[in-house]
Amino acid sequence: MIREDDPLRDEIPNRYFDPHFKIETAKILPGEYYATNKDMALVTVLGSCVSACLRDRESGIGGMNHFMLPDEGKLIGAHGNISAGGRYGVHAMELLINQILKLGGRRDRLEAKVFGGGNVLQGFMLSNVGEQNAQFIVEYLNLERIPIAARDLLDVWPRKIYFFPRSGKVMVKRLRKVNNDTIVLRERDYGARLFHGPIEGGAELFK
Amino acid sequence: MREMVAFVLESAGYRVIEAEDGVQGLDRATATTVDLVITDQNMPNMDGLTLVRSLRELRDYKSVPILLLTTESSDSMKSQGRAAGATGWLVKPFDPATLLEVVQKVLR
Repeated sequence: MIREDDPLRDEIPNRYFDPHFKIETAKILPGEYYATNKDMALVTVLGSCVSACLRDRESGIGGMNHFMLPDEGKLIGAHGNISAGGRYGVHAMELLINQILKLGGRRDRLEAKVFGGGNVLQGFMLSNVGEQNAQFIVEYLNLERIPIAARDLLDVWPRKIYFFPRSGKVMVKRLRKVNNDTIVLRERDYGARLFHGPIEGGAELFK
Repeated sequence: MREMVAFVLESAGYRVIEAEDGVQGLDRATATTVDLVITDQNMPNMDGLTLVRSLRELRDYKSVPILLLTTESSDSMKSQGRAAGATGWLVKPFDPATLLEVVQKVLR
């Protein structure tokens, strides 16, 4: 059951036929994730958010997420506690991994390509929010022993990412000129949902 | 996730035995007895519900509390957990304080 206010969603994303690559394509927005066993493309545009393109390197089952952390981007916070941001990031990664496993992917064959964390939201939240997101995703994958086959993190540019899970190919376009502020507005809205929305799952005892 | 749970519990003074998946969890649980089992639902080799069912068949684990960690909060998954014999259900992400509160409650 996905709550309406859940900042992470796996509902069917916007799909279209990409005329350039001539393939069915799903667009992943901030806070969404999607995994598939089909031969298709997944596309997203990243500002300070990060995205993990994960796939089973033998079966080609894979998916992509798009997230940022609601606060400090470390698993272990400054006071030795586990930060809320770390918990949320782990959750965002696990949702994608679990979906890939449900489709038949194997955990020991997963490989990752990671992108984003650009410092594009200057003046909004922490100035190094992109850096924290980038640091988290690398730290998480190292901890989970999922090899990082490619990365394009940090810098100041928004990026458009095309991921083809079947082949594992990723195409990255650094957006040096942005025609409007859609990327910043989308990430800002997503950030606001994270800061103000519930990020706890809750507990229930049966007896 | 496992490291995080172990870190929280060890910080609170509990002794923790870790296992990488359901099969290893079942092995470790049968090699010794514990006061509480915490298992993820999504694990390689043997999932959490299967581990709970297998543990409940063992004499030593008839009444040991077992908590399931999951990303799913649907009623049907919860009823499967209850039917398998789990004591409680924690939906990720959760606050370390919530984990400790639940642990203290079921160990009481």
